[in-house]
Amino acid sequence: MTTFDPVSLKILWDRLVAVADELVLSLVRTSFSMNVREGYDLSCMIFDARGRLLTQGSYSVPSFTGTAPATIGHMLRAFPAETLRPGDIVITNDPWMGTGHLFDINVMRPIFRGERLVGFTMSVTHLPDIGGKGIASDCTEVYHEGLRLPVCKLRDDGVLNKMLLDLIRMNVRVPEQTIGDLMANVACNEVGGRAIIEFMEEYGLDEIESLADAVNDHAETAMRERIAEIPDGTYSNAISIEGPGKAIRLAACVTVTGSDVGIDFTGTDDPVRASINVPFCYTRAQSNYVIKCLTIPSLPNNEGAMRPITVTAPETCILNAQPPWPTGARHSVGHFVVPLLMGALAETLPDRVQADAAMMNVFSVQGRHRDGGEVTSLFFLAGGLGAMQGLAGRAVTPAPSNMTVVPTEIWESRTSMTIERRQILPGTGGDGRWRGGDGQEVVFRNDSGHLFEFALMGQRTEFPAQGFAGGGAGALRVYEVNGAVVNPKARIELAPGDQITMREAGGGGYGEARQREPDRVLRDVRDGVVSREAAEDIYGVVLSTDGKSIDEVATANLRAS
Amino acid sequence: MSHRLGVDIGGTFTDFALVDDQSGALAVHKQLTTPADPSQCVLAGLAALLARTGTDIAELTTIAHGTTLVTNAVIERKGAVTGMLVTEGFRDVLDIAMERRYDLFDLRLHFAEPVVPRRLRLEIAERVMFDGAIGAPIDEAAVGQAVTRLVEEHGIEALAVCFLHSYADPSHEERAREIANTLYPDLRVTTSNEVLPFMREYERWTTTTINAYVQPLTDRYLDHLESGLAEMGFQGRLLVMTSSGGMATPPLARRFPVRLVESGPAAGALMAAFLGRQVGAPDLLSFDMGGTTAKGALIRDNRALRRYEFEIAREHGFKQGSGLPLRIPVIDMIEIGAGGGSIAAVDDTNLLAVGPQSAGADPGPACYRRGGTRATLTDANVALGYLVPDAFLGGEMELDAGAASDALARDVASALDVEVPRAAWGVHEVINEDVARAFRVHASEIGFDYRRCAMVAFGGSGPAHAMRVARKLRIPKVIFPVGAGVMSAIGLLTVPISFATLRSGDARLETLDAAGLEAGFAPVERQARSLLEAAGLPLDGITLERRLDMRFYGQGHEVEVTLPDGTSPARLGELFLAAYAKAFAVTPLDAGIEIVNWKIEANGPDPDFAERYHPFAGPSGGDPVARRVRVFDPTSGDYVDCPVYDRYALPAGTTIEGPALIQENEATTVLGTGERLEVDSFGNLVATFADGEI
Repeated sequence: MTTFDPVSLKILWDRLVAVADELVLSLVRTSFSMNVREGYDLSCMIFDARGRLLTQGSYSVPSFTGTAPATIGHMLRAFPAETLRPGDIVITNDPWMGTGHLFDINVMRPIFRGERLVGFTMSVTHLPDIGGKGIASDCTEVYHEGLRLPVCKLRDDGVLNKMLLDLIRMNVRVPEQTIGDLMANVACNEVGGRAIIEFMEEYGLDEIESLADAVNDHAETAMRERIAEIPDGTYSNAISIEGPGKAIRLAACVTVTGSDVGIDFTGTDDPVRASINVPFCYTRAQSNYVIKCLTIPSLPNNEGAMRPITVTAPETCILNAQPPWPTGARHSVGHFVVPLLMGALAETLPDRVQADAAMMNVFSVQGRHRDGGEVTSLFFLAGGLGAMQGLAGRAVTPAPSNMTVVPTEIWESRTSMTIERRQILPGTGGDGRWRGGDGQEVVFRNDSGHLFEFALMGQRTEFPAQGFAGGGAGALRVYEVNGAVVNPKARIELAPGDQITMREAGGGGYGEARQREPDRVLRDVRDGVVSREAAEDIYGVVLSTDGKSIDEVATANLRAS
Repeated sequence: MSHRLGVDIGGTFTDFALVDDQSGALAVHKQLTTPADPSQCVLAGLAALLARTGTDIAELTTIAHGTTLVTNAVIERKGAVTGMLVTEGFRDVLDIAMERRYDLFDLRLHFAEPVVPRRLRLEIAERVMFDGAIGAPIDEAAVGQAVTRLVEEHGIEALAVCFLHSYADPSHEERAREIANTLYPDLRVTTSNEVLPFMREYERWTTTTINAYVQPLTDRYLDHLESGLAEMGFQGRLLVMTSSGGMATPPLARRFPVRLVESGPAAGALMAAFLGRQVGAPDLLSFDMGGTTAKGALIRDNRALRRYEFEIAREHGFKQGSGLPLRIPVIDMIEIGAGGGSIAAVDDTNLLAVGPQSAGADPGPACYRRGGTRATLTDANVALGYLVPDAFLGGEMELDAGAASDALARDVASALDVEVPRAAWGVHEVINEDVARAFRVHASEIGFDYRRCAMVAFGGSGPAHAMRVARKLRIPKVIFPVGAGVMSAIGLLTVPISFATLRSGDARLETLDAAGLEAGFAPVERQARSLLEAAGLPLDGITLERRLDMRFYGQGHEVEVTLPDGTSPARLGELFLAAYAKAFAVTPLDAGIEIVNWKIEANGPDPDFAERYHPFAGPSGGDPVARRVRVFDPTSGDYVDCPVYDRYALPAGTTIEGPALIQENEATTVLGTGERLEVDSFGNLVATFADGEI
């Protein structure tokens, strides 16, 4: 075993992160899937020969925080390391082994130096399509959702498994793109394997297990030091979110003992007959994400950083749903693990938590372009972010996952629908000393001449984003078709000429509104984000008659009353 | 007798390079920049240089200059009060931005504010559809009212007109411009279709608003400069460097000032490209590291690579996504927060961290003894022996080696429980890794194979790090150019007048015929020609090059394809597949191919500079080996004896084996064990790896 001083450790670790980042970028560049290339719905990882995670690319959505060690464990149980050959590629999209839904393909490649196995790389990306009904909340079993691939070899000793490729091609709607993305994963892993060999040569390393231990131990120590600063105690929270037909209760109990964090979801409701059930791997990833944000956001992801965190959930609950519960839209429940845990820790970490976000509006669209081409895609719209102590929530910004807006010009060209309006909804963010982020309104008109189907899965249509520390809640999300409010979990048929309006929710505020600095309130009013009436009624700030300055006396009187 | 002058206006200093066209001799000058009105330092420096060299201003045929004026105006928010007319329903596009967080784990995010505040954005009823059809006519009365309100109530000096799909049909935007200029003939108006007819409204409109925002101050600056030069008797041509690496005439610069962003660093990359032509190295990495940042550029076939995106005014260090995105043609530069002033510390995970915070030149590294106390990269390089304390800046400034060691001991070594040399080496090597990572990641983003390239290293700190960076990247050859301190100023003299633009427009290859290809390029070519004509350039000297951004249908990233003259549609697929294969190690797909952007690059004639430029006047006649010092050798982990060469005393043909330091006024080249270099006939140092590790 080699040991590393802090200087070497830093240099080698940085290089590994750089290799993983390089994989991510080459994957993004060759990917067909919009979720991958615009939303970084992907991840790349490097493991040692024991399957221990060394590092993960810096860019990836929170749902991939710490899921990979379990995935590679499943793969190595199916194909033990000693049986692997150079030229093997192992894949799976099993929701319970990977990252929680069928869309994510996990692609692993062993790295051989000569005849000796020295490590693995793995990439995970969201495929453009996986057959079945895709991401739709009306699936009741995983079998409805698409093709489920067990751990299998896409390439065996250098020979591509044609049968498997044909099987996938036959079962998906956009075969060129899906196979193209799968092969882009293969290519990026090849690049990664070469980069690791070069890295070992440059630094004269015969193996990377010692480095894996050093990196993981270091991350664990750093994480433990920071966790130890959180006062010991048990912090609980429960929230309600929208389920099919009735509300779902999510409950969590966070126990901090010294440098350990235990997170348990006992008290959470059962799975439901809709595709919003969450495999445990996803629940754990979101939990890890929260603890990382609240402790050392900049720490590179690896196994060691997650060791102090233990996550448990009863096998009967929606946050640990077992097969064959459908899981395609697991994010729409799973993302709520973030506000659930933030809320639990709000009192003990007031300067670090973030009030509830509006959560993303993810909807799938299927139809036909005016030119006859098939359109099938997932789209995202963001509401407002939650506020923090000292920082307003940003308007129209996604959380906890990330994405990039599809520009109006691209959306219209791609779908031949027209977006009539896309504007921020002032005042939809929660009130507070620090205001919650505002939502937006987007109006689509079906000008394609064909029927378009929108599968809606929106949350925050009954339960708003809560403010913290006295901050107000954000406004609710609303969908309307031709001016009439519609069921936010429905599959909507949009006839030619019909309009659908999406009004995105606001984020929660932070702190009492009456403590907001009057100067900021004045600016809010001048920018048109807070009305004069709201300035008085909610913020206790009276403006001069011309609206250009603060009436100091009246404000002081009002705030004192 | 004729002369030409390159002037690079930097943040602190303005560099001048005067070249005698007959002898090729070079005279240089440095002048403190006058940030409030940069034309002052240009005029003062010019006068000083002319006087010193006894040159008559009448002999000056060209002044080519680059400036940070526009960049600074955006960063410091010193532009004009700017209004915006925008398609009804879309005034918040500038705030909605990308709907993206630039960091997933850091919850405290800060984004750059748009340059036009919400209340100065007024909506206009009008609609152009994605295919260029008119969905709703423009409400002309509303345009007049909005412009009047913006001028009379808000006192705007500039107006940005931003309508959806204006790349498909610019008529509404242009009509709005007419109305505005009929009412207010002096109001500066920028339309989004003229700035860059590129699909993606947020980026196009941001570019448009910034163009408008900096137009008045660019006008004033050029007014001062042109009148000052005229008063001095200058009768030659004044040119302004653009971010794309081509020169613009003052009329073009006034119309598209947003294109002047980042013109200084681009000039350094162009000088590297020029040098590559001179020494026969067509593929290069240009590596420039100064006090605060390191900049890199990739040069393929003697041309600096370009792209159409740049982010300005980042709120959060160097984090991509925290600034404002511009869509303009730029030299594709990598910029990272690594330089001599980069501060070394131990981060919140107890690991060494270097940069991106910088002590800059003021207060500067601890060893400067100018008030800076924190350990920096320069302090590490002093502790390692790579910078000789009494020879810094040609001996004009003495460095305090004791202060360097003390700072490193306190800030780094004790916290990590290692010795000072180990800590210093860590700081040095972390920066090498950062730079190598930036090159590697960027090369993989654009599919550039750098392993058979050479590197050109310059800047105050570049030559001290280049060999280690090259080793990591397996780059076999590193060139340390002569005159590295004024590379940017000289680089300005090497490039032609040029204007690059593009237009978005989808076309499927399988249905594209020759007429369709011509029709696709026609509007872009028309725009390029009319702009160049308006700029007073004779069109017969201009070459137009066609390029296309193409991709497999549905794929997110395009590959740029250059079309040889007379390319038929039938050949496009083949050209695309060749470019695709070069960029990616992926089997091409059996999928349709589409064109997404139509690009034109109009270039004037190349300046006849290469044959004449001979900056190397021969060795100074001094003793080449001035002295010997002890330097840190990473292979043995110990200090070794090492000669210090005086670069100015080295004759062509000299070979030097590492370890060695080669000292010049602005920088020190560090040659390690197992590395060697040779002085070529131009005076450049050309280093290779003798130990065969690469």
